[in-house]
Amino acid sequence: MPVEDWLSEFKTLPDSAVSTYAASLREKGSLVPALYKVIRENYSDLLEPVCHQLFEFYRSGEPQLQRFTLQFLPELLWSLLSVSAARDPHTSGCIEALLLGIYNLEIVDKDGQSKVLSFTVPSLSKPSVYHEPSAIGSIALTEGALANHGLSRVVYSGPHLQREIFTAQNRFDVLTFLLLCYNASLSYMTPISLQSLCQLSSRVSICGYPRQQMRRYKGISTRLTVTSEFLVQLITGIHYAFCNGEVELGSKSLDDVLYRAQLELFPEALLVGNAIKSSMHGAALKSNNKEGARSIQVEITPTSSRISRNAVTSLSIRGHRWKRHESQEVSVDSEAALGGVAIPEISVTGVSGERMANGDSLRQRPDGRTGPDGDIMGTTSEVSVDPRGHDSGTRGQEESVLRSCPSFPLPHSWGNLDAVDLGSPDELMDISEMDEGVWPGGVGPDMTPPTITISNSITTLNLGAKAMKKCRLGGRNSKDKEAGPLTTGRAASENAELSFKRLTLTSSQSVPKAGALTSLTRTASAVFSRSFEQVASGIAPPSSNHNTSDAGRYSCILQEEGLGYLSPMPNHTQRSPSISVHLGTDL
Amino acid sequence: MLEYHASMWGRILSGVFVQSTELTTMTARKSGSRLETEIERCRSEGQWDKIPELVRQLSAKLISNDDLGELLLGECKLQTYLKENPIKQGSSPRGPRPKLVEVRKHLTAALDRRNLKADYLLEASVLMAKLCYVEGEYRDALGHYTRVNMDDMQLAGAPVYRLSMIAEAYATKGLCLEKVPATSPSLSNRNTGSPSSNRSTTDRDQEIITCYEKSGDIALLYLQEAEKALSAGIQNRSPKPGPTAQDQELGYFLETGLQRAHVIHFKNGNLTKGVGRFREILRAVETRTTQNLRMTIARQLAEILLRGMCEQSYWSPLEDPPTVSPLDDPTRQGHTHSKNYNLSRRPRVYSGENLFCPQENTEEALLLLLISESMANRDAVLSRIPEHNNDRIISLQSASVVYDLLTIALGRRGQYEMLSECLERAMKFAFEEFHLWYQLALSLMAAGKSARAVKVLKECIRLKPDDPTIPLLAVKLCIGALHWLDDGECFAKMVIDMGEKAAEFRAKGFLAIGLVYSLKATDASLRSMQEDYQKKALGAFQRAQSLSSTDHLAAFYLALQLAVSRQIPEALGYVRQALRLQGDDVHSLHLLALLLSAQKHYHDGLNIIEMALSEYPENFNLLYTKVKLESMCRGPEEALLTCKHMLQIWKSFYNLTNPSDSGRGSSLLDRAMADRRQLNAMTLPDFSDPETGSVHATSIAASRVEQALSEVASSLQSSAHKHGPLHPWMTLAQIWLHAAEVYISMSKPAEASACTQEAANLFPTSHNVLYTRGQIAELRGNIDEAKRWYEEALSINPTHVKTMQRLGLILQQLQRYSLSEKVLRDAVQVNSTAHDVWNSLGEVLQAQGNAAAATECFLTALELEASSPILPFTIIPRAL
Repeated sequence: MPVEDWLSEFKTLPDSAVSTYAASLREKGSLVPALYKVIRENYSDLLEPVCHQLFEFYRSGEPQLQRFTLQFLPELLWSLLSVSAARDPHTSGCIEALLLGIYNLEIVDKDGQSKVLSFTVPSLSKPSVYHEPSAIGSIALTEGALANHGLSRVVYSGPHLQREIFTAQNRFDVLTFLLLCYNASLSYMTPISLQSLCQLSSRVSICGYPRQQMRRYKGISTRLTVTSEFLVQLITGIHYAFCNGEVELGSKSLDDVLYRAQLELFPEALLVGNAIKSSMHGAALKSNNKEGARSIQVEITPTSSRISRNAVTSLSIRGHRWKRHESQEVSVDSEAALGGVAIPEISVTGVSGERMANGDSLRQRPDGRTGPDGDIMGTTSEVSVDPRGHDSGTRGQEESVLRSCPSFPLPHSWGNLDAVDLGSPDELMDISEMDEGVWPGGVGPDMTPPTITISNSITTLNLGAKAMKKCRLGGRNSKDKEAGPLTTGRAASENAELSFKRLTLTSSQSVPKAGALTSLTRTASAVFSRSFEQVASGIAPPSSNHNTSDAGRYSCILQEEGLGYLSPMPNHTQRSPSISVHLGTDL
Repeated sequence: MLEYHASMWGRILSGVFVQSTELTTMTARKSGSRLETEIERCRSEGQWDKIPELVRQLSAKLISNDDLGELLLGECKLQTYLKENPIKQGSSPRGPRPKLVEVRKHLTAALDRRNLKADYLLEASVLMAKLCYVEGEYRDALGHYTRVNMDDMQLAGAPVYRLSMIAEAYATKGLCLEKVPATSPSLSNRNTGSPSSNRSTTDRDQEIITCYEKSGDIALLYLQEAEKALSAGIQNRSPKPGPTAQDQELGYFLETGLQRAHVIHFKNGNLTKGVGRFREILRAVETRTTQNLRMTIARQLAEILLRGMCEQSYWSPLEDPPTVSPLDDPTRQGHTHSKNYNLSRRPRVYSGENLFCPQENTEEALLLLLISESMANRDAVLSRIPEHNNDRIISLQSASVVYDLLTIALGRRGQYEMLSECLERAMKFAFEEFHLWYQLALSLMAAGKSARAVKVLKECIRLKPDDPTIPLLAVKLCIGALHWLDDGECFAKMVIDMGEKAAEFRAKGFLAIGLVYSLKATDASLRSMQEDYQKKALGAFQRAQSLSSTDHLAAFYLALQLAVSRQIPEALGYVRQALRLQGDDVHSLHLLALLLSAQKHYHDGLNIIEMALSEYPENFNLLYTKVKLESMCRGPEEALLTCKHMLQIWKSFYNLTNPSDSGRGSSLLDRAMADRRQLNAMTLPDFSDPETGSVHATSIAASRVEQALSEVASSLQSSAHKHGPLHPWMTLAQIWLHAAEVYISMSKPAEASACTQEAANLFPTSHNVLYTRGQIAELRGNIDEAKRWYEEALSINPTHVKTMQRLGLILQQLQRYSLSEKVLRDAVQVNSTAHDVWNSLGEVLQAQGNAAAATECFLTALELEASSPILPFTIIPRAL
């Protein structure tokens, strides 16, 4: 009985032998299938000790032992989901505990602090080990490109909440996170585990749907709820399985997941699934030749462009425009440029096809007059030297000219077909830096500086959730609680006035008076400011009687917890709300 | 013709100038011979047709350069031959060619006399070896290579053409080594005394790879140098552009040298080394000639990173690879040689401060794909003439592979916003390309750009009219964020019109149209219209339910619709059915609780809510209902505790939000974008109207205004609304208002007012806030003030029934009966099931002396009250 042996072995193991033991697990051929069997038969007596042992493995921190546990994750997930669908909550108790245990271990780092996973979104406008921005040439001037210019954006996931029990609400959050962990060690997973993942995906997707009959799966037949993110994680795993030996099973389960994503109308899962499916056409064919082989195959590819040189491409059109712009120094009217205006230096004539015919006829003439060193700029002599097309030649020149003098000011109005091109990233930099810290919307010149300035993102990025919390709490003190009462009448009128001002804003479409907007801003921002430090340091409102109505005990309690904030409120004399509503005709 | 000229010149040269001198080329170069430079330039730029003429001049000048002349002529004829008869990848040259006889003659002549300078002698040997390879004499070629020590060839200070020559030589040597069987004695591993031929083969494999890797490195160096020389040349000759700035073509040998090494690595299953080699090539500063190669390799590396690696098996480009990696084929262990050669000069790599270096496989894949994308995008073939069909297909294919991989990478990290921007750039390829359109639509949808998504989906439908998923996706958007009910109806009808073809989706189609009608019924201002739509909705839900009896949604929405039309027992039946199908569906449980409350089983309802809350502890919708039920069953104190609990949940839920919120949305543009997005496409949650629940046309308008103002003024952008169904601030305001309501029911105006103030700080112009203030004023006996508040609330949302009811009552107290009647009648038009409005209307009519009408109103009120839930059924969201 390999399982029993396995259960007893680890307990007696000294700490020093853990890593060698971990390595030796691989050799026990019959153990893994036996464990799968235990997990599949929900009612086995061994299930509880096995789950316990798997958790011990995970807790040991030894990567190989952790991976040993992780390989059963798909099977465990299925066990949990099928049991909860059958509404038999007692049998899956130990599996739930194991999964929650792994989750709770994974969301904290070694010191027990909440882990925040970060992901840097690379940007072409920043130099990297693989490129420099100037060589990329023009980056389309879209909102997104501008917004992300010069800064690499970092995306965070987490911190995640500790979970004690599974509820319908958190179940898929936890499971999705677990799959994320599984996917992070996909390379170490055995084929059996990958197969199990594919099976899980299929079953989760089709149970209770007409396709279940097609797949001839006879287990539970109730529909399982899923979330889009969960499906995306499943697809990621399937993608790996597909590319690493499980071609048939992988493509079948991908189909099933896509089927479900269609029925649920999940755009995220459809998006990723479709992309994998379409990128797999070639790959799948290749790996069919060699059974089980990885479908990563690389061949020597020709370095020359496979696109014929006389086809009008984005690049050739770009060069075309640029030349024209330079020679005439007028803003390029796109219609004129496309219409085939004759430009002496370049033979590109746009879409009219004239140039094409040119190129074709020239190709039939492999050589001709051996052109002299090049006093002649004309197309024909150009071509005779290089029969493969003339405009590429000119294009090449332009480019090298460009490259050789990097500070060459590029034209600003480079009307491309759908995007404005910006040549030098430095220009972009200027734009984004100039804009920093300017208040949006119609702000009059006489306006007092905005209470919240948006700090440069680089600093905010470093501000963790904790720091932010600290900032928020820093701004308040216990004085708030003892603050004197405020008559409701004043509060009411105060607010009415605010609302009145806001209404004027819409009705007349005019820019509000500076004072009005600041006070509004201050009120609102004090409550929920992102960068509270600025509020705390920047403005100390002159008339800031932090007022709470004495009856508002309730809100005071909450304030102690740093939750509710009362706004500093400027004093105003009572004024009656000045909006009157006319309800039809007086009868 | 050209060939003839060249050979004639050759014959003349070799015939006439027989003697050689000791005058070295060095002196010639020192004297600044223009001719020398010209020859070097022509060799570097591959202008072989000019060489014969130059050789003639050279020999004429110094009389002594005939050996060099032989070398040059041999080279130029060999190169010209190869240019005209290029060797194809995968095919090997076979046999001697008559045309090459002359080449051999020249080279032999150059070599035999041994008068050449060492550098040129090496060149001649290397050319000879190349010739042997072209003729298929691999052993001979290897013989030549063993005679010269190629590692002696100086890379530093070498002219550009020689770099290319050395690179080709290494590649050719690798090719020969691959062709000649390993057991052959005449080879580099001559000391094969050991019987373990296995070891010698791995040694040999290693030697082959080293040859290719050296070749590749030197080739990259050559290309960089060549480009530098070219641009320098152009600058010198400026302003007139140079004559032959033609594209550098890599020949067979350089192409092989650059790529064969990683091909072998991957063939051997040695992913680690293959990836390493890819990275080396990509880190070298690009040249024009390597652009296509880089594009391909970047894509391939991204593929490997996405398909064959995971976070744990990844190592960053600047780190050493792990010694043991799961990526390598375990049966092929023993290939883990480290790099075992050094070059005196290496290609320039990207360097500088603050270089971005990826730390994770998805990051690296993304970076590579962005680079690849920028190049693929440049090659987009724009012309639509039929002659360019093939080019178009090629450019489309290479681009769509890149875009698919981008989707995979960005989808994994949930960056749909960025993805939608990338895919938008793909649109120049997308004419009539369904896949690209569809992916764009989906990415827009995932990024929350609903309005654009619907427009793109329309194009998708045009391209693929048979797919029921697409119109369904459009309906989902229309009835969700956008509230474009007419469009939604149109899309849903498309699905239904597909009939049997739509298979499983047919039921979904009926569900969709049912939802559209149901929402229209809520919006309709005329009672007859409302009833008409309700009937249609019921019919559609029934169809959906009969088509797909295992779909809990169909049963649930049928139940909801029945509940809205106050058919409580029937609704209970269907909601139970829905719960049988999906036991933990939150909306079904909520509906069940409301239905029980409609039957005045408040305690049972509360039990159900508490059960539901054990599964969905953070669901605010359930909690709102709980507050109501508690103040009904257990008194307001309990309800207040629940409110406090809600605030705590809110805090733990949203205070924990991750810091990327602050990253995003901090630059001005982001904020501007976020603003606009919120205005255009934000999902407008239930906040604006807890009573009417899911969106109502006028309340949308109201909350839009409210939102626009509040957001601009208070700058609380939290750009991601991913955390829950409700915008966090709206949820918070909502909680405060509920607390206020509880206080009002306890007749504690001061506390209620404080709570309202909290909500008002967030959304000062919300009609709900104004309504609550009115109630507080009423509580204080301030009728005039209350009236003003109610009027304000109505000016923002003219169809807010509760406000209308309260206003009606106040007007009645002020004895303005006819106006009161008017207001109340309007209210009844908006919502005919509000029993308290009917009741108030009855009172007004009674006060006016219209007893008969009053009685009717009272009866209606009574009847409605009997089936009235604690909160309107419509607080349950209706979405696909």
